[in-house]
Amino acid sequence: MPRLTIDSREIEAKAGQTVMEAAREHGIFIPYFCWHPNLSVPGNCRICVVGVEDKGGEWVEIACNMPVAEGMVVFTASEKVKARRKATMEFITLNHPVDCGICDKAGECTLQDYHFEYNGERSVSRDAKLHATKHFDLSDRIVLDNERCIQCTRCVRFTREISKSNGLGMLSRGDHSIVRPSADGAFATDAYSDNVIDICPVGALLAKDFLHQARVWYLKATPSVCPGCERGCGVNLWHRREEWMLRSPRQAARNEGIDRVTPLDNPAVNGPWICNKARDIPKLLGRVRASGALFKGSPAPLEAAVLEARALIAEAKRPAAVVSSWASNEELQSFKSAVGTRFALVAKRDHEPQPGEVVQDELLIRADKNPNAAGVRAALGECAREVPKDADLVLVWGEGFDFRAVPPGAKIVFLNAFLAPENGHADVFLPISIQTERDGSYTNFAGVTSRFERCFAAPAGVLHAEALFPALVGHGRGA
Amino acid sequence: MPGRQLIMNFEVTPTSHTLEAYKARGGYETLAKALKMAPADITKEVTASGLLGHGGAAFPVGRKWGVMKPNPGEIHYLCANADEGEPGTFKDRWILEHAPHLLVESMLITSYALGVRHAFVYIRGEFDLPWRRIQAGIDDAYAAGYLGKPVFGSDFTLDIVVYRGAGSYVCGEASGLITSIEGRKPYPRNRPPRLTVRGLFQKPTVINNVESLANITGIIRMGAEEFRKVGTAKSPGTQLISISGHIAKPGVYEVEYGYPWAKFLDEDCGGVLHGAKLKCVVPGGISTKVLTRAEIEPLNLSHESVNPAGSGLGSGGMIVIAEGTCMVRLLQVLLRFYHHESCGQCTPCREGMGWMHRIIDRIVEGKGVPEDIERLYAISHANDGTTICGMGDAAGFATVGILNKYRDEFEYWIANGRSKMDGRLECLA
Repeated sequence: MPRLTIDSREIEAKAGQTVMEAAREHGIFIPYFCWHPNLSVPGNCRICVVGVEDKGGEWVEIACNMPVAEGMVVFTASEKVKARRKATMEFITLNHPVDCGICDKAGECTLQDYHFEYNGERSVSRDAKLHATKHFDLSDRIVLDNERCIQCTRCVRFTREISKSNGLGMLSRGDHSIVRPSADGAFATDAYSDNVIDICPVGALLAKDFLHQARVWYLKATPSVCPGCERGCGVNLWHRREEWMLRSPRQAARNEGIDRVTPLDNPAVNGPWICNKARDIPKLLGRVRASGALFKGSPAPLEAAVLEARALIAEAKRPAAVVSSWASNEELQSFKSAVGTRFALVAKRDHEPQPGEVVQDELLIRADKNPNAAGVRAALGECAREVPKDADLVLVWGEGFDFRAVPPGAKIVFLNAFLAPENGHADVFLPISIQTERDGSYTNFAGVTSRFERCFAAPAGVLHAEALFPALVGHGRGA
Repeated sequence: MPGRQLIMNFEVTPTSHTLEAYKARGGYETLAKALKMAPADITKEVTASGLLGHGGAAFPVGRKWGVMKPNPGEIHYLCANADEGEPGTFKDRWILEHAPHLLVESMLITSYALGVRHAFVYIRGEFDLPWRRIQAGIDDAYAAGYLGKPVFGSDFTLDIVVYRGAGSYVCGEASGLITSIEGRKPYPRNRPPRLTVRGLFQKPTVINNVESLANITGIIRMGAEEFRKVGTAKSPGTQLISISGHIAKPGVYEVEYGYPWAKFLDEDCGGVLHGAKLKCVVPGGISTKVLTRAEIEPLNLSHESVNPAGSGLGSGGMIVIAEGTCMVRLLQVLLRFYHHESCGQCTPCREGMGWMHRIIDRIVEGKGVPEDIERLYAISHANDGTTICGMGDAAGFATVGILNKYRDEFEYWIANGRSKMDGRLECLA
C-alpha cells in the first residue's frame, strides 16, 4: 500500500494504481481528455500532466500512465504544471473550429470547460486553421465532424476494446490524421456504436437523432432503466426542463418527448455503456398511445369500462390472468395482493427479438427482450406459459399476446398502453400508463433491482395499473 | 582515416560482403568463442566495455541489456534497428551493404547472451541494396547452418526475420518500431513499461541500433579491456560518421572517439566544398543543435567533449553548412520534415509541428511578424519533454539551436521580407 502526497494531502493508494486512479479515488481532480476509466491508457492528450517532486526540483509527467510509488509527492496545480496545461490547451484548440454556437456538445463539452479552466485566452496563432471534413456520415446514426476532433482516440479504442467491431481507426498522420470507419463497414452494424458519442470529449461525434434538436441546458436527465432487454441497463432519459418548455402549440408535443438517452453508469449492471436499442427508447416508448377505454371496440367512458370489467371478473368462475413482463415490481405487488389465488397465472413475453436485432452477445444484450421477466418470477413464482383451456375470462396485461390462445367463449379484459388492432378484440379495453409516467423498479436477469423515475404526467384518460388492480379485482374501493 | 578502425577495417571489394570473404576475415570465429562463455559473462563483458548506443541517445548498451534478465522458458526478442531515418545519417547503410555478416554474427552473440531465440532486423522501406545485402547475408547464414539450427554443437538456435518498414521517421523510435512489426500504425508507446520489460508482442525486447550491435562481435573478440583502449575513457570505441552537406569528400568515416573535430573536417574530409568558409555543423542528425566553426575548434569527437557545448554526436549524421547558407530556409526545410513525419498521436507534436511549419512558411513568404520568433521558441519549449517519444524534443532542439545562433537572419527576413543570405541552401563555387 504505497502512501503518497497529492497537493499536500496524504493518501494511501493501491499497489499497481496510477496517480490518476489514486487521485480520483480520493476525490482529487486531474483533468483528462483521452483517458477513460474503462479504456486502455494511450497518454496522447497530455493534459493530465502533474508535477512530481524530485531532489528539490520538480519534473512533469502525465498522471494517467504514472505508477504510484511510496513517498511520491505530486502537485496537480504547480506553476510548472499550469504552464504546461496552458500550452497543451493552446495546441488542442489550435485547429479546433470553436463553433460552439452551432455545436450540440456545447454546455457539456470537456474542451469548453478546460479552456476556461486552464487557458481562457484568445488564440495566439496568426495562421489559418486547418480544415477537415465537417460532416462525415459514419453510419445511419452518427455524423463525424473532423474539425472538432481532438484525436484522443477514445472512439477508436472503444470499438477495439469494448464493442470489438474494430470499426474505427485513425487515418493519415500528423495534424492531418482523421478518424475514419474501417472499409468493411463494421461500424455501421456495431450494436454499441452510439457510445462513442458519449465518450467523445468534444462535439466531433454527434447523434443524428439529436442533431440540432435542443441545447443540452434546456434538458434534464431523469434516471431510468432501459426496457429493451432483461439486462435492464441504467439510462438517463433527457427531456425538457419545466422552465424551458416550448410555448408554441406547433412544438408543444416536444415538451412531452424524450430528446435523447445516455448511459447511467451502474457498475453492477451495464457500466458506462448501453446498446443502440437503448438509444431508441424514444421510438420504443413514443409509439401512438391508446387514449381511451373501449367496450367491444367502441369508445366508452373510463369509469363505466372499469365497472364493467370488475363485473365481468366478479362473474367469472375460472378466470386466468396473462402477466406482463414489462410490469414494474410495484405493479406486480399490487397485482399479486389484489388477485390473490383466484386467477390462473400465465407468464408472457411482451416483446420478442425483431428481425435484424442482435439477439444476444457477450457484452450487454440479452435474448429476453423484456425488462422484468425476473421480477415476474420473483413476485409470482414460475407461471404457466399457456392459457388454461377451461378459462372463462382472460385478463391480458400488456402487449405481445396472441388472442387466438383465448378459449372460445371466454371474456377478455385487456390492459394496454399502445394503440393496436387487438384493443378492439377485447370485451373491455383499458389504457394504462408507460414507464416514463410513473416511478418503479425492474429486476434484471441477475437479480439486480434498478429504479426508474417519472419523467412526464400520464396523459388524461390513462390509468396506472398499480392503482387499477385493487379497483378491478379487489374487495375494496371502486375506480 | 581518423584513428583506428573496428568496423571498416577491411578493403571494400565487389565481393567483400559475402560469407566467404567474411569468413576469410575471421568471421563467425567470435561466435564459437562466445558460445563457450556463459550468457551472463557476455553481458558483463559488454557492460565492462562501456559501449554506448549509436542510435542517437548514446545510452549504455550494457545497461539496456542489464534490465532484461534472461528468464529461461520465457520469450525474449531482439530487434536490430535499421530504420535509419534521421536526416543526414547513412552509416548503418554502410554496415548493411558491406558487412551484413558482421551484423548477423553480432545478433547471434547478443541473442545468446540475452536468451533470445527470435530476432528481427527492422529495415526502412527506402533501403534497397542494404535490404538485398542483409537478406542475402541472412539466407547464406541459414544455408551455412549459423541460423535456424543448433550452431557449433551447442543447443542455441536463432531465427532472424527481416522486416521492411513502409517508411516513417517514427518507426526508428524503438517503441514505434515494434508497433510497426506487430503490424499496426507505428504509434510510439508510453513508458513505463520499458520495452525491456514489455515490448514486442508484450514480451521483453531489446532494440539496438545496427552500429551498436555491429560492435558486439569486436568486443567479444578482443575483450572489453582491449576495446576500451580504443577511443576515450568515457567514449570507448569508434563511431561511424556519415558526413554530408557542403563538404569536399562526403561519405561514411569511422572515427575513433577523441579525434580532433577540426582536423577531421579539414584533413580527412577535405574541408568545406569549393574552399568556402565553414558556417556551422549539424553534429549528429538534424535533431542535434548546430555548432559554429568557433565552437567546434577546441572540441574533439567524443561525447564528453561535444555534450558540454550544448549539442551531441547523436546518430553521427554530420551536415556541414558553408558560409552564405540561409538559415531561415534551412529551418524551413527541417520543420517541413518534422511536420510531415509527426505521427499525430500526441497533442504537442501533432499540433506544434504543423504550427511551426506554418509560421516559418509565412516568414519566408515575407509575412512574418516579430513575435513569430518568440512563438517558435514557445512551441519548441512546450514540446520539450511533453511528448510520448523524443520527436517533439528533437524538433525543439533543432529549432532552438538555429534560432539561438542565427536570430539576426530571422529578424532580417521578417523586417525586410527577404533573406539576408540570398536565400541560398547551395554552396556555389
